[in-house]
Amino acid sequence: MSIVKEIASAVEAGKSKVVGGLVEQALNEGIEPSVILNDGMISAMGIVGEKFKNNEIFVPEMLIAARAMKKGVEVLQPHLAKQGVEPIGKVILGTISGDLHDIGKNLVGMMIEGAGFKVLDLGVDVPPEKFIEVMKENPDCKVVALSALLTSTMPALTSTIKAIEEAGLRDTVKIMVGGAPVTQAFADEIGADGYSEDAASAAELAKKLYGVA
Amino acid sequence: MIRQPYDAEKESKVIGKFRTFPSPAAPDGYLPRYDRPVTPRENFISMLKGEAPQWIPNFTYDVQPFCPRVIPDNVARGMVMDAEPMEGLVKGGLDMFGVDWEFEPLVGGSMVKPGNPKCPDICEWEKYITFPDLDKWDWAHASEVNAPYFDGGRIVEFTIFSGLFERLISFLDFEGAAMALLDEDQQEAVHRLFDKLCTFYDEYIGRVKKYFPMVDLICFHDDWGSQRAPFFSLATCREMIVPYMKRIADSCHKNGFFFHLHSCGKNEMIAPAIVESGVDMWIPQPMNDFDYLLRNFYDKLVLSVSPPALTEELDEEAIKEACRKYVESTLVVPKPRVLCFASSALRKYPSVTKMLNYLYPISREYYSKL
Repeated sequence: MSIVKEIASAVEAGKSKVVGGLVEQALNEGIEPSVILNDGMISAMGIVGEKFKNNEIFVPEMLIAARAMKKGVEVLQPHLAKQGVEPIGKVILGTISGDLHDIGKNLVGMMIEGAGFKVLDLGVDVPPEKFIEVMKENPDCKVVALSALLTSTMPALTSTIKAIEEAGLRDTVKIMVGGAPVTQAFADEIGADGYSEDAASAAELAKKLYGVA
Repeated sequence: MIRQPYDAEKESKVIGKFRTFPSPAAPDGYLPRYDRPVTPRENFISMLKGEAPQWIPNFTYDVQPFCPRVIPDNVARGMVMDAEPMEGLVKGGLDMFGVDWEFEPLVGGSMVKPGNPKCPDICEWEKYITFPDLDKWDWAHASEVNAPYFDGGRIVEFTIFSGLFERLISFLDFEGAAMALLDEDQQEAVHRLFDKLCTFYDEYIGRVKKYFPMVDLICFHDDWGSQRAPFFSLATCREMIVPYMKRIADSCHKNGFFFHLHSCGKNEMIAPAIVESGVDMWIPQPMNDFDYLLRNFYDKLVLSVSPPALTEELDEEAIKEACRKYVESTLVVPKPRVLCFASSALRKYPSVTKMLNYLYPISREYYSKL
């Protein structure tokens, strides 16, 4: 098995203790950092996402795979920076105002990161002003991902999108929404650009919205 | 239990009252008692013991939930149901392990604000987690004030917040808890914690028996899934949770309680683990495949089948028809052991409430012929 395949297997199996060493070994063998990232780790997370979507694996497996990838990226990061390898793009992520739930949001963040994006995670109970502030600080960010778990906080999705419109930033980003009570119909109704029903689909959607799917 | 023929006229007569906690549904603290062949409690218990009931119990009427404020978790999680006045009760705050819960009035429940887990490292949980001292709670007072509200006519269900996985989440945050179930460096510590929790719950359940002998059913609150799937695989559940659930079930059974697992989520994939845990009753949420669950597990445990979401205002005939269809959907197996639990989200629709009123006469008619 090639070392890149070994890295991919280790990430998929969540073997965080060995991934760093394998990445170092691959670098020593002269393999391009971008190849290690794309073919070793991002592709592995793609498989993880697919298996998660199909209920072949579950949250713990996905989390330990994401943790393993993180370990690999830690080793790889200086080499990627040296070669000017950039993330696909930035995604601003947060659970909307009034909602403290972070489980779905965090899983989405991990899968989007695993797909090669830089994620700016604003946390939970995020007011619209905060999204706008971070959007202004990151004009290169093209996707904002909003999460809501409660039917009672769904209206905050609408008001956040409205606030982004009123700030004159709506045309600069695509907005994706998700969370247990959210549906495609609701996403359409509030003028979101995309909806996904699980974390793996959210990563695919982010790629689609960035035009790299 | 002898199945008696249905006598519609006789059985619709009010012959007395059941005592209950005052609530919007029973502001004076009483519910009407009808002339039924057996009490709701007798009907329910025969079902828990393995018989088909004489009618499909309606959880809202047939069961008296009991969550006394003497248990710190009930207050922390905003789920107090007892005889004492609700005025002035501040929901949320510290649970029995000192974890801080934030009550959300709009939702009617609490959660631990994520990001600052009480236990930053499960492998060293003994450094961070102190088990409660059951002697410090005023059990005698709670026993005295609540006892008059139970008259033996309805099932009394005592809820234990939080179960094993929920407790682990409260200590570690969700991601920490989920990973700890699978990470071989953390699994041993989880086993150690669950082992000690079982010992604690055994003592706790013993106190429930001593001070609240009228309790029939222990509800163990442990959400295992999201709206699309279980949080963990059947194999993980079997390895990390089932052995301890069995111990909790044993603690209930040795004290004469039935064991109800409250577990939200689309959990049908791990239904075998629920059965293996020794659970007597499970109320699956509406997103589960009830037909599959009923056909495969009706003889293993009591299952709730969610009523239809009658969100529109329907006329009486349409509601009766919906109720008939609902009852017929439970008759796909020879001895259905089915309960009807309508969530508060469903009960806000008038057609659902009306359907529940037809549940007794319609299910009684069908079930008297089983």
